[in-house]
Amino acid sequence: MNEVYIAGVSMADVGWHELDAHELGARVCVEALRDARLLPRDIEGIASTPHGYMAESRKFASQRMADYLGITADFMMDVDSGGNSSTAAVHAAYERVRAGRIRSCLVFAAQREVPKKVIQQDVFSYFHLIMSANSLYDSYQAAYGVISPLPFYAMAVQRYMHECGVEPEDVARVAVLLREHALRHPQAAYKEPITLEKVLSSPQVSPPIHRLESSEMHDGAAAVVLVSGEMLRESERAARVASVAESHDPTSFHPYRGEISRFPCVERAAEAALAESGYRVGDVDVAEVYGAFAGLELMMYEELGFFARGEAPAAVKEGRTTHGGEVLLNPSGGRLSLGHPAYVTPLLEITEVVRQLRGEAGERQRPGASIGLVHTEQGFINGSVVMVLDRQAP
Amino acid sequence: MDTKPYIQDSAAGEFFSRLAEGKFQTTRCRACGETHYPPRVLCPRCLGEDLEWVDLPREGTLLAFTWQEAAIRCIKPDVLGLVELEGVGNIFTRIDAPYESLRIGQRVSFSPWTSPDGLALHQFRPVD
Repeated sequence: MNEVYIAGVSMADVGWHELDAHELGARVCVEALRDARLLPRDIEGIASTPHGYMAESRKFASQRMADYLGITADFMMDVDSGGNSSTAAVHAAYERVRAGRIRSCLVFAAQREVPKKVIQQDVFSYFHLIMSANSLYDSYQAAYGVISPLPFYAMAVQRYMHECGVEPEDVARVAVLLREHALRHPQAAYKEPITLEKVLSSPQVSPPIHRLESSEMHDGAAAVVLVSGEMLRESERAARVASVAESHDPTSFHPYRGEISRFPCVERAAEAALAESGYRVGDVDVAEVYGAFAGLELMMYEELGFFARGEAPAAVKEGRTTHGGEVLLNPSGGRLSLGHPAYVTPLLEITEVVRQLRGEAGERQRPGASIGLVHTEQGFINGSVVMVLDRQAP
Repeated sequence: MDTKPYIQDSAAGEFFSRLAEGKFQTTRCRACGETHYPPRVLCPRCLGEDLEWVDLPREGTLLAFTWQEAAIRCIKPDVLGLVELEGVGNIFTRIDAPYESLRIGQRVSFSPWTSPDGLALHQFRPVD
């Protein structure tokens, strides 16, 4: 088996974009190739995702990009598995490079949604997109008009707070901290600080979730270049992929059996990835975690093994998850404050961890960070992918 | 015109048709005795295809509840909840009580509900 490295990363600012999704994708692909000191002719595989959930999505994103950049590939794949899509693509690319089938792969995602305001002004014209997004939910959920995962997440947070004695301030504090992190990130969607009072007085979108504890869908784009050792141009800037593992539960959105406040796939994926990497969770210096809501963020910290069940709120309060703490969690600002183009999010997470391992994270840098973890999920955390990265050069 | 766009498969169609007749039922495998919720057209436990429709429990435990701000059906804000039906699993339903009056773990019972747009659905309300 070959070692696999991430040689290049790139991301567009998170927010709202005017540029066509395909061209937005081309920009980040080119930047990631420059970052890797490679040209399209050096690339042997390409993988991508759809352009959005509420978008007139053109298909075959990888094929169109291969045409645009002139890439002759021995591996090509478009993945649509919700929030895990681009990590699942990275996982597939990783296995191909590791097995020696290809020596390099470009993985990118470019998301441009039809803005909510536009849809609300002309619901009839966009009804087919609403119905298409609605098909994510089964008949027994959709019958009650569910058009977002909010009620399910709200009930999961309610049970978590009930079972672990978590107070509203504990949840709101996560949103405040992630905003503080995002203020150090020049490409984050949110630029204004928030306070505990502001979070708790923001409207409840589905109780107990407040608006400022909820991630918002954005546009964005990012690309990463995976290579084998022989394609590395600057080994001192490379991040090694120590392991990738994924695990999925037999559920789709809320579990018809089992507990709504537990996500066993996260624990399994984390344990498998850490075991394969040879590291323990306590070795991790920096991690990007996929928490779509503040309460879920706390639950993910625990499922990943950073803290025992019910202990994440105290860890956040004591500063153990921020700069100067024992592990730096979501230095990018996370989904809540970096912004959340879901198809792109996993690549944004990888980009942040790679920048941290290179020492190129600017004001957000954790000094000496050498072991990083990336976690992503899909659906109602029905499946998870966990990657471990380090600084071991070939 | 399809007036029930949420019905995505034949078992769901049957479930909601039975509900409209006052029957709160799901499928059970005649071969292995497994009760499924949601209902199915085959048994994932023994892979059998000989299923029958049986009554669901009409009383359960409220696991969690919330309301949704926006919905394409239902009145706003509508209370939704997750009810544990013993031996069956967790059913997602409407809760017929003010959000503020509810508590986790309380007993709730089935009652039929007709949505504002005329669909026959189920809801649960606290047992006095």
